[in-house]
Amino acid sequence: MTRTQQIPMVFAAPIDIPVNLNNLSRVGARPAFLDYLVQLWDFRSFIVYDARARVKSGTRRDKLGSAWLLLNPIFNGLTYFLVFGVLLGTGKGIPNFIGYLVIGVFMFQMTSGAITGGARSIQQNRALVQGFTFPRAALPLGVNLREAMVNVPMILAMMLLVLLIPPTEPITWRWLLIVPVLVLQFMFNLGIGMLLARVIARVNDVAHLLPFLLRAVMYLSAIFYSYERFINKPVLLHIMQANPVFIMIDIARDCLLYAETPSLHSWAVLTAWSLSALIIGGIYFWKGEESYVRG
Amino acid sequence: MSVADMLTNLTPTPCIVADSVAMRYRVPSTEVTEDNRYPHMKFLRLLNPLPNTVTVNALNEISLVVNRGESVGVIGRNGSGKSTLMQLISGQIRPTSGAIHASSTPIMLGVNAALVPELSGDQNVVLGCLAMGLSHEEIADRFDEIVEVSGLEKSIHLPMKSYSSGMGSRLRFAIAACANPEILLVDEALNTGDAQFAARSKKRMDELRSEAGCVLLVSHSLDTIRQMTTRTIWLDKGDFIMDGPSKDVTKAYTAFTKHLSKGNNISAAKLRAEAQSSLPMVNLLKTTGSAG
Repeated sequence: MTRTQQIPMVFAAPIDIPVNLNNLSRVGARPAFLDYLVQLWDFRSFIVYDARARVKSGTRRDKLGSAWLLLNPIFNGLTYFLVFGVLLGTGKGIPNFIGYLVIGVFMFQMTSGAITGGARSIQQNRALVQGFTFPRAALPLGVNLREAMVNVPMILAMMLLVLLIPPTEPITWRWLLIVPVLVLQFMFNLGIGMLLARVIARVNDVAHLLPFLLRAVMYLSAIFYSYERFINKPVLLHIMQANPVFIMIDIARDCLLYAETPSLHSWAVLTAWSLSALIIGGIYFWKGEESYVRG
Repeated sequence: MSVADMLTNLTPTPCIVADSVAMRYRVPSTEVTEDNRYPHMKFLRLLNPLPNTVTVNALNEISLVVNRGESVGVIGRNGSGKSTLMQLISGQIRPTSGAIHASSTPIMLGVNAALVPELSGDQNVVLGCLAMGLSHEEIADRFDEIVEVSGLEKSIHLPMKSYSSGMGSRLRFAIAACANPEILLVDEALNTGDAQFAARSKKRMDELRSEAGCVLLVSHSLDTIRQMTTRTIWLDKGDFIMDGPSKDVTKAYTAFTKHLSKGNNISAAKLRAEAQSSLPMVNLLKTTGSAG
């Protein structure tokens, strides 16, 4: 077909067609941020259905079904107990080390699960994104909602373990404070998930790095040792005390295990983290709204 | 009142406006290219391979206005950019330059992949309908109809990943077809599935077409195009060749393909150039203020 180019082409004179774009909108255009939030609200039944349908199908292939949602953190906790508690003895000096470990493992697992799911929500749902026009933030939101639904029995199990495994702890009014911690945790997970979702939609390689990043956070969150280990290393101590995941776990331990009211400072730092993650993640995700249709 | 304003009042309301839309892809190529860098250190070439990508012009700049009540056929050989144009209009891909404006969200009926493979067919129906903005009540009303159009019967309760490709695209068609869209895009949906499904889907499509504000139909069957559309555009290798009444355009296209199949590439190219040279350049005068 190289011949095509050799034939001189004379184009007809251009014609002007007036069009009134008044009643039209650009296909796939990104709405203003507030309109975007309204759209998300309009798609709430989609988000809820997406979350609920996937809760049911998540473990359908396994014989034990949803039991794995509980068995997984229990086995994790058992492994850490054997390796760090028994073999390495990192639990020395920690009152009620098993309770300490249980809360750390469960809380961390909830955050890492939600962040991983949120981060991959766009990449794993390309067919849905290309097939339909809906605000894309519905996907990370749906994943986080699903994780939150799954986490309700996990939190109850965590509390039950703390109550049952000796030394048992009494229930105080502070147990109620677990609710605001979970709300802040949800906001934080969602924000980070949306941030990563856009990055991974653009550069898929980051999906491979994510497990390593999460593992690094895990080791820095004092799950199977006490942060007091670093009392003589001020730099590490400061990093650790600013780590939002550590703060969540720490507050949960204060409330459930040690019957101590968490300090105002911890609450303030965690709230700042959660709010900024949600706002920055939300705006960053929204800015990329038009880019998700292409892989 | 300017001339443009006066013209605006006279023109019919457009459903779709493609404003200088073009689509280019950069894709990796397996073609071997000569690499003469680092002549003395071959291993550096391994560390830093040439970016072996080529640019594909899927669709060259095209401007198009489709008015309410029009049904437009799109014809062309394989790789002419027909499907790209449809995907651009439906918002499945974003144009490299230019913009598509539409009076409402266009719905594409076509052969497409599974939605969420882990979920069952009925869950995918609800999810897909919710994603199109339908409410739970509307879905409950239409659910039986969707299952009927898809012809899946009991298989609707199985996970979508267990479906054959035909079953998957039938379900996809049935979901998209339940929306009663104002702007309907059809990409060879008629060719999906077995004879039984073809009859069922054609019936549903005819209903949709009579209700839709405007229809764009991609097909290789010129008979279908002539029957169902009044206006046709011809694309070839990403170029916009011809735009006019379906009868004239299909006639020119038939002549073109006849020359090609006989091996008369030169005369075919001449026909193509003739058609293209008579195609007027469209210059869109955009007004966004209130008419009048």
